Parts: sequence; C-alpha cells; structure tokens
Amino acid sequence: MLYVAPFLCLYVILLVYPLFGGFWLSLHKADLFGGRRFVGFENFVRLSNDQVFLGAVGNTFYFILLTVPALAIIGLGLALALNRQTRTAAVLRGVFFSSSVLSVTIVTLLWKVVYAPEGGFVANLLEVFGRPPIPFLSSAELALPAIAITTIWWCIGLPMMLFLAALQQVPRELYEAAALDNAGRWKTLWNVTLPSIRRTFALVLIIEVVLQFQLFGQAYLMTQGGPNNASRPMVLFLFEVGFTRWDVGYAVAAGQILFGFIAIAAFAQYLVARRKEAF
Amino acid sequence: MIRPIAILLSCLALTSCGVQQPPNEIVVQRFFGTCNAQYGTRTDVAAAEGECGIMTTLINKFSAENPDVRVRVSPVAWPGYNQLAAQLAAGDPPDLVTMHLSSIPDYQSRALIEPLGKDLRAVGVDPQGFTAASSAGVNIQGDVFGLPIDNWAPLWHINMNYFRQAGLVKDGKPILPRSPEELLEHARRFKAATGKPYLVQTLAIERASYARNLYTLLMQQNATIFPDPQHIHLQSPEAKRVVDLFRQIYVEDLTTKNLDYAASTNAFINGAGGVFIVGTWLIGDFEAESRRADRPLSNGYTVRPFPQLYAARDATYIDGHAWVMPAKERTPQQRDAVFRLLKFFADNDFEWSRTGHLPAYQAVIDSERFNALPHRREIAKLSATGMTLPASVQRQFPVADIVGEEMSAAITGHKTVDAALADAEHRINDLLFHVL
Repeated sequence: MLYVAPFLCLYVILLVYPLFGGFWLSLHKADLFGGRRFVGFENFVRLSNDQVFLGAVGNTFYFILLTVPALAIIGLGLALALNRQTRTAAVLRGVFFSSSVLSVTIVTLLWKVVYAPEGGFVANLLEVFGRPPIPFLSSAELALPAIAITTIWWCIGLPMMLFLAALQQVPRELYEAAALDNAGRWKTLWNVTLPSIRRTFALVLIIEVVLQFQLFGQAYLMTQGGPNNASRPMVLFLFEVGFTRWDVGYAVAAGQILFGFIAIAAFAQYLVARRKEAF
Repeated sequence: MIRPIAILLSCLALTSCGVQQPPNEIVVQRFFGTCNAQYGTRTDVAAAEGECGIMTTLINKFSAENPDVRVRVSPVAWPGYNQLAAQLAAGDPPDLVTMHLSSIPDYQSRALIEPLGKDLRAVGVDPQGFTAASSAGVNIQGDVFGLPIDNWAPLWHINMNYFRQAGLVKDGKPILPRSPEELLEHARRFKAATGKPYLVQTLAIERASYARNLYTLLMQQNATIFPDPQHIHLQSPEAKRVVDLFRQIYVEDLTTKNLDYAASTNAFINGAGGVFIVGTWLIGDFEAESRRADRPLSNGYTVRPFPQLYAARDATYIDGHAWVMPAKERTPQQRDAVFRLLKFFADNDFEWSRTGHLPAYQAVIDSERFNALPHRREIAKLSATGMTLPASVQRQFPVADIVGEEMSAAITGHKTVDAALADAEHRINDLLFHVL
C-alpha cells in the first residue's frame, strides 16, 4: 500500500477528483470566470433538446463507423504484408508509421491541399479526365468521410505496429503444423493467425474507438464542423460551448455524456473479448 | 513515508508557482500574424508593409526608444480569445491584448479588463479624438475600456478590368448597384460579358463574412437586429430578403463557390471574378498587385464601401481593433510602461492605417497624408456610415459564428432560408439567455 501511495495520490488528484468535480460542475450553470449557479439536471435536459448536440453525437458515431473498422482491417492487412525480415518491409514499415508522428496541423494542411477544389491534388487529377472538382470539405455528404480518410492516413501506424507485434508472438510451430496439414494461405490466416491475435484485435478496437470518440483537431481545422453541422464531433461541440460561448456547465455536461459513451464502448468490447476467450 | 510526501508536496508547490515577471517587463499579446524572419529586428515603421510588418516594427521601435521597458510579445492565432479566456481563468493574463471592439463588452461586464480613460488622459491621449465608431466601441457605462487603433468594415474590392469589359464603368468609376434587383441585373450582365462570376466570396469554412453581410444589409433596411440585449430578431422579412438575395446569387452561379478565405483571396488576385467582399485589411495587397504588369488586376483595382442596396439608410456594419488591459496586479513600472506604449500607438495611428484599416482618430482621417494614401478617400465615409452592434449585446463573436453557420446552410442549399433563420434565432437567443 505504501509503495503505491504516491501513484494513488496523483491518480486521485489528477483523475478521480476531476471526474467527480466535472460531474458536479455539469449540474451548474457556470461560466469560465467563476460565476456558478446550481441547476440540477437542466444542462442534460438542454442537451437532449439541442439539435446541434444531437447532430454532433450522430456525427461522432458515424465517424467511428467510418474509421475504426478501416483502421483495424487496413492495419491488419499492412501488418500481414510487412511481417517479414526484408529490407523493403522494414523501410515500408517506417513509411507507413511516419504519418503518425506528424502533428494534426501538418496533417490537415496537407489534406486541405489534397481536397482543395481550386488547384488541389484531387481537383487537378479530375481535371486531367475532364471532370469538375469535388468540394469535399464543403459538401454535407463528403465532409466527414473526407476527415475520416485523413484520420485513417494519419493514425494507421499504431494499429499496424500493434498487429505486427502480435504477429511476431504467434508460435512458429502452429504455422508448421498448418503446413503439414496442407492448409492454404487463407485457411492458415483464418484458423491460425486470426485466432492467435484476437486479443490484440480487441485491444486495437478498444483503443481506436476511444481515440476516435475524441475527434477534434481534424474537424476544427478542416471544416469547423460544417457545412450545416455535418462534421461537428462531440469534442468540437463542447470546445465551442466551453471556450467560445463560456457556457462551461453545459460543455461539461456534454463531456459527461461523451465519457459515458467511451466507457460503455470500452466495457462492451472488453466483455466481448473476455467471452470469446472463455470459448 | 516522509520522502514520498515531501516529493508530492514539492510537485504541488512547483505547479502552483507562476513564472515571475520582471518588474519592468510587460507582456503584449496580439494577433495579426508573425513575421519575425522579415521584421524581427526592424524599426523602420515607414518601410514596413502589412498588418504584421507594421505592428512588429512599431513595437520594435517603441522598445528601441524605451530601453528601460522590456516588451515581451506573444503573438496568437486570430482571434486568440480562447487562449485569452484560458489565461484569464487561470489568473495569468498578459498586460495588453488586441481585442475587437465587438468583444470588449464580454470582458468589461465581468470586470476582466480595466477602465483606461483617466490614465489615457494623463499621458495625453484624448478619447474625445476617437472617431464616432471607435468611441462607440470602447465607451461603456461612461468609461473608456480600450485604446482603439482602427475600424474595419466589409468593402467591395473591384476588378475594374472586368467591370470595363461588362460596361460597368462610367467616368472611370465603377457602377455599383443601388438595389437588390440591380445587383442581380449587374451580376448577370457581368457574367454574360466576362464569363466570370460577379462576386468572389469566401463561402467555405467561414462564418464571419456571412454575418458581416447580413448585419450590413439589415442596418441598411433600418431593421432592429437586437430588440434587447438578450434577444436577436432574425425571423423578419428584412432578414429573409437578404438571405434570399445571396441564395439567388448562389443558385445562378453569380458567385464563386466552395472557396475558403485563402482560396478566395487568391482567386480574386488571379481574376476569378469582379467583386471580392472582404475587409479593409487587403487594400494594400490588392493595390500592390494592381501595380504588377500582366496580371488580372494590373491597373485595374479599386475599392468602395458596401453599396447602399436599400433606401432606408446608408450603413455598413463596422468593427475595429483596440488594445485592452486585463485586470491584474502590476508594478508601477509596468503600469507606466503600458500607458507609454498606448500613447505610442495613439501617436502612430497613421502608420497603422497604412494597413488599409480606417484610423481610430478623426484627426488622422481628416489629414492630408491619410487621404493621399491609395483609395482612402473612397472609403473615408465609413467613419460616418459605419455602425457597430449595440455595446450592450454580449458574446458578439459566438453570435456571429451562429449567424454565419446558419446563413451558410441556407445560401448553399443545405437548409431552407426560413429554417435557417429560425434556427439561428433560436440558437442565439438560447446562447444569450444562458449568459451569466
């Protein structure tokens, strides 16, 4: 107990106290500069009737749907392709991971150049084929998918590395046994590789769901949540409400709901992973 | 047991310490960009160009002339209010901050900035000399809460080469519309003659310009935008007329589309259309472009205030920039340094007006050297026709954000005009209702 006391103290001060403090603040009408009045659950009632917030919730779930499966599947595909001891594979592993070290500002600047309807990379490409430019970031249908593509490009390094680490832990004997049984590549993948890395798969899903729930920088810098609220995620909503409108109690209430979603998603995946393990 | 507790307490003590400011140092926080590579050490203000260049050289010059004062400049990304709010909430604000006139009521109402009137007069800056628009922006409840440095407004930057091609020039001056119907007629004629859209607008990833257009055209109709400080009135025939007009322009392809601020600025420079509706701050850049050979704007640039499209009143929404002083404890040296710097800026308002902004002092507007600057005579009337929103209305920046977001949705067809105006009104009234 004594050994972990310093960590526990910091944990309580930096995590547990803010968690309960945040919930208490969400029950207040409060601004950024100390003004505060207890209003009970009024902020949560307001949120349930706020079309902008409900839109942001929908956008956040849609974004997770667009990114998490893609990150898991593409990350796994890259790991399978690059899980070999060659120089080319080593270089490509570095190349695919390199985007992850860039800051969100650089990433969004790069992709804004790609998407720009006037002289952007895609627009120039389309022009070659005589096609008009596509307004990716000012179209309500395309803005969030465009941000999702940017995010997948940016974040693909982490799942790839996690899968690579997992693949290197799979015992060679299993592959040798599969080869002796004349198992093909797909059968080996399906019956040996994937079951062996299922824990990592669950871990990647949990990590990515938690991360993508917190989408902020890309939407803030590329679309500002527009057009017509089509790409505003929950974190951008609570940033705008808290820092621009100074309605801190309301922003924190939105933050509590986001926290609840993340906790439920992480716990559900944990349960699913445990149940599969039991089988 | 004692050791871990001591370490923990030391950590807490360290985190509670702020960085101590030297007694003669003032922290100046500003937007207008960074340009240290070009102007980092230069003090020749007359040779500087652009907002960043002139601001940087002005502060460098002040530092050179006042060696007993140490000025630490902290440039922030426009508009910098989120950062300032966090600094104020943490009790660590800078000594001087650039602030839009429209934002001053937010900070004044919470006593986050100090009144300056008495001290300004003591150093020889007379607030009576401010222009009417500047004075309205900084005067609240009988005191002066900022030193205005300029006013700005949406302007019509015009490609005269295209206007000539479309037959919209008379006696060397652009023919501008005097009604919404005439605007549409000019725009159609322009497009038929040049093949280009009449307007170049920033319609993507943008909010403020929509709000500026709406406010301007509501003011021209004498519409009541805020019946009281807690309510906006947008479900009105006047507002619908304005949004319908811009929607019609969009539908008929009489404007550029899908361009963000940087792209629309480049598009105008590269001859994408006839009129770019943007603020005063780009006059210098476009004027420089018009002096280059073989460019779309070569010898063909002029600028005018927003034309009067409605008969009721010649008015343009106007805002401006000011220095404000956040409330905090200062040494007498720091306080003295702050007011010396403010006096320096007041004395150099002409230099700042070379950015394209309108001076904050009537004497500078009336001066020969200001009127000798390119195009300044054409826009000088803004000091009389410019109108701010009522200073009693708080949260004008987030209000403009909502107006812009909903107008954008209506103009680009994501929502009906009626639905967008209703949503904007509801969202803004909800915001204002919940202001503490």
